[in-house]
Amino acid sequence: MQNASVNKRNLGGVDLSLLYKVFGGALFLYLFLGFMVVPCLNTLTSIFTVKDAAGNTDPLAVIRFFFTGKMPSFVWNSVKLAVCLVVTVNVVGVSIVLLTEYFDIKGAKILRLGYMTTLIYSGVALVTGYQFLYDGNGMITKWLVDMFPGMNKQWFSGFSAVLFTMTFACTSNHALFLRNAIRAIDYNTVEAARNLGASPFKVLFKVVMPTLLPTLFSLTVMTFITGLCAMSAPTLLGYNSINPEIVRLAGSSTANESFPQARAALLSVILALFTIILLTVLNHYERKGHYLSVSKTKAKLVKQKIQNPAANVLAHIYAYVLFIIYMTPVVMIIVFSFQNWAAVRAKALNPSQWTLMNYFGTQDFQYTRSNGKIATRKDAISGVFANEKTVGGIRLSFILSAIAAALACVIVVVAVNYIFKHKNKKRAVVVEACLLFPWLLPTILICYSFRIFFNGNVWYVFNQNLYYKENVRFLIIMAYTVVKLPFALRMIKAAFYAIDDELEDAARNLGASQLVTFLRVKLPIVLPSVLAVFALNFNALFTEYDMGATFQKSEGTTYAMVIQSMCNEEGRDNMNMNASGRRCASTVFIMIVSGLILYLVYGVGARDLGERLERRAKRKAFFQKLFGSKKAA
Amino acid sequence: MIQLTDIIVKFGDFEALHNINVHVREGEFFTFLGPSGCGKTTTLRTITGFIEPVSGTVKMQGQDITHVPIEKRNIGIVFQSYALFPTMTVHDNIAFGLKIKKMDKKTIEEKVNTIARKVDLSDEQLKKAVSQLSGGQQQRVAIARALVTEPAIICMDEPLSNLDAKLRVQLRNELKKMQRDFGITTIYVTHDQEEALTLSDRIAVFNKGYIEQIGTPNEVYNHSQTEFVANFIGDINPLSGQIVKGLGLEESRHHFVRLERVRVNRPKDEGEFQTQGKIENREYYGLYIKYYIDIAGQTIKVIEKNDGINIYEPGETVTVGIHPQDVMSYDAKQ
Repeated sequence: MQNASVNKRNLGGVDLSLLYKVFGGALFLYLFLGFMVVPCLNTLTSIFTVKDAAGNTDPLAVIRFFFTGKMPSFVWNSVKLAVCLVVTVNVVGVSIVLLTEYFDIKGAKILRLGYMTTLIYSGVALVTGYQFLYDGNGMITKWLVDMFPGMNKQWFSGFSAVLFTMTFACTSNHALFLRNAIRAIDYNTVEAARNLGASPFKVLFKVVMPTLLPTLFSLTVMTFITGLCAMSAPTLLGYNSINPEIVRLAGSSTANESFPQARAALLSVILALFTIILLTVLNHYERKGHYLSVSKTKAKLVKQKIQNPAANVLAHIYAYVLFIIYMTPVVMIIVFSFQNWAAVRAKALNPSQWTLMNYFGTQDFQYTRSNGKIATRKDAISGVFANEKTVGGIRLSFILSAIAAALACVIVVVAVNYIFKHKNKKRAVVVEACLLFPWLLPTILICYSFRIFFNGNVWYVFNQNLYYKENVRFLIIMAYTVVKLPFALRMIKAAFYAIDDELEDAARNLGASQLVTFLRVKLPIVLPSVLAVFALNFNALFTEYDMGATFQKSEGTTYAMVIQSMCNEEGRDNMNMNASGRRCASTVFIMIVSGLILYLVYGVGARDLGERLERRAKRKAFFQKLFGSKKAA
Repeated sequence: MIQLTDIIVKFGDFEALHNINVHVREGEFFTFLGPSGCGKTTTLRTITGFIEPVSGTVKMQGQDITHVPIEKRNIGIVFQSYALFPTMTVHDNIAFGLKIKKMDKKTIEEKVNTIARKVDLSDEQLKKAVSQLSGGQQQRVAIARALVTEPAIICMDEPLSNLDAKLRVQLRNELKKMQRDFGITTIYVTHDQEEALTLSDRIAVFNKGYIEQIGTPNEVYNHSQTEFVANFIGDINPLSGQIVKGLGLEESRHHFVRLERVRVNRPKDEGEFQTQGKIENREYYGLYIKYYIDIAGQTIKVIEKNDGINIYEPGETVTVGIHPQDVMSYDAKQ
């Protein structure tokens, strides 16, 4: 509304809207400066304020140390992983999309389902799952060694294990975004190229692939950043890259080594520089725009038959080998989650040892002492929902993730409403830039900064130490929220674009105030998107590992950390006898939660009011028919 | 009913409306017509309160409403996109304004049902989501929603522009019928001259933030006051050279004649100017045929009723006649 007069509510002569603005602005500034800028600046300055043995400040000490010590090897390892990951993820990612969307491969629907399992099976659950199957005693390694006796039993460790695991874990974005890009291709362009004499493979490389390049470029950059910032796989599989080193240094003290915190800060800043450069390149490239189909009557892509019989057979073999790689861990984890502790520990399926013990209930464990007497360890075998530590981890992660996901949504909804209200004004641009700020920084930098900066009494948080005891939970919530703001902003802003300006005008014309218009007209429209963002953020945070590892302490042990510790504690003092089985059950539980959330977001949440009413009417008709016919009978 | 006096609207330094003066009478179907960006929607939004003018007054029923907030103006609006709330059912869309006014449930139900019957919406349709309705039904919901709060006037901002040609004609008739039935003062914005001519009691033709002419459809079509109006409303032939001389018109002025006023192969009327021309091209429309006739290097368009007998072929020579009184002449712009 331009220049329009607005009814201003007054409270004893004070303009309420002005009060809201001042209070809102101050709160926003407090959160932005207090929980984004100041902690990160503290990290940056800590690099240059290192003191030598004599107590004098030596600004370049860490940098000198960097070049003389083994720190560059961490950077090199991360870069090496990122570069290799870009190649392997793109090869696998592009091929799974082409195999399911472009080429006519038999059983493509089933294949697609298999390739998309990483959407519900990822993070620490995936890494520990792969470890379970592929490590020295792993079931698949045993099979492979049986088949190839000369094979190294310990093949699944270090760089190759990280690369292998992350290659399959990181194709989710390809499965989502590249699939959408290929589906958006106008089939008439393929037909036109064929009509002009191009062979199917020429069409693929000259017509189809070029249109996918912008998406592929974005995916490549995102994969590179993922590789650079990898945390759970290098930590659990033993690879010395930047992130695990930062976490190690953060927990170290000067008594053990030279200025660990400053070194961690330097590594996280190096990571931030890489991220900023890459995102700037990506942003610059994205601004050039994507190839948009100019067709007014777009034709749906028709799958291409591979004409050469040998190539066709090879493509089918490749597709199904990939399918087996994707599906084996999932199937095995599900199967083993129903096996008893002995079978799981032996990593050998035992058809007579099925149990629900890994999920529910507890069981005592009897063992023979060194003196030959039989002893009983009470509740040494327990299920996910009966094990105190696991339930504690689930409960804590559930609460922290839900609060952070909700907080991110509330902040972003209010901010985006403000941004849209002040479109094309500088203040809107500033608010948006502030919310996108965490996007430029690697998660580890934010968390590390939080951990170090708030591990002391900070005046603007009521002189509290936020890393102390239970306070760490608040710190985790703030870190979760800050990290999820950019994603929430991008998604919710897109939803606000869908609101027709005239809807707001119509509501105002019908007498609704600005607040009523927002609550009753705008919010219900964006609510499905907001709930989707909430659900996706919750899903990501619920099993989040990187931040949990950075903040790890007994009062802040999240679910991912519990899953990780399950592996280490198995059988210790004859406790946790079924830790691996419980870990499998945990993974199944995570898959169910993720699957449910994805179904709610993309299935139920995508339906508009019309579709919901239609479904309701159909249900009503069905029950009427059911009960009506029973009555008649 | 509605009186705009010396309205000036600015967006930053850009003056969108320059001294607009309009008086819309009670019960009238009044149309703001003009090309995109001419100021017609800005004028409408000034009336509805979405834009506050820099100077000038808006009066409704004698009361100055220039600074009255949107929600207090008692003006109904039907938007270009209909602006139906997608998260509400048809019933809830219509009832929205009544609920805001905190009317009791029974009154709301009565009013919603009454207006729904008037605009021909069934009980079944009331329960549906707006996305489940056709374009025509959605328009009726938008009108019902605008009318249910019993506004003094109703404003419509290009409500037919999103529809296909056939439905547009059908709904245009329904719209006119509804306006007559309700007897409500209506201000209608469109860039479609045919829509304006068929629907309106009076039309204001806008151009670059000014009103060029206000008049009945016949006045703006047959007695266009400005060259812009003559050109914008309907198709027209600019005249020059031999024809202007033959008609005895001042060469320093601009002259125009409507297509249907040009006569082909007819006996010469008294005072009529006749000349020979050659058919250049022909467009067959069924009900009529449009000819492009070359007269001494100038192409004149002519509309002839399709009687199935007098159909001329390209290349054929014909006699073209124009009455001087059918010519509209304007001073050349500086």
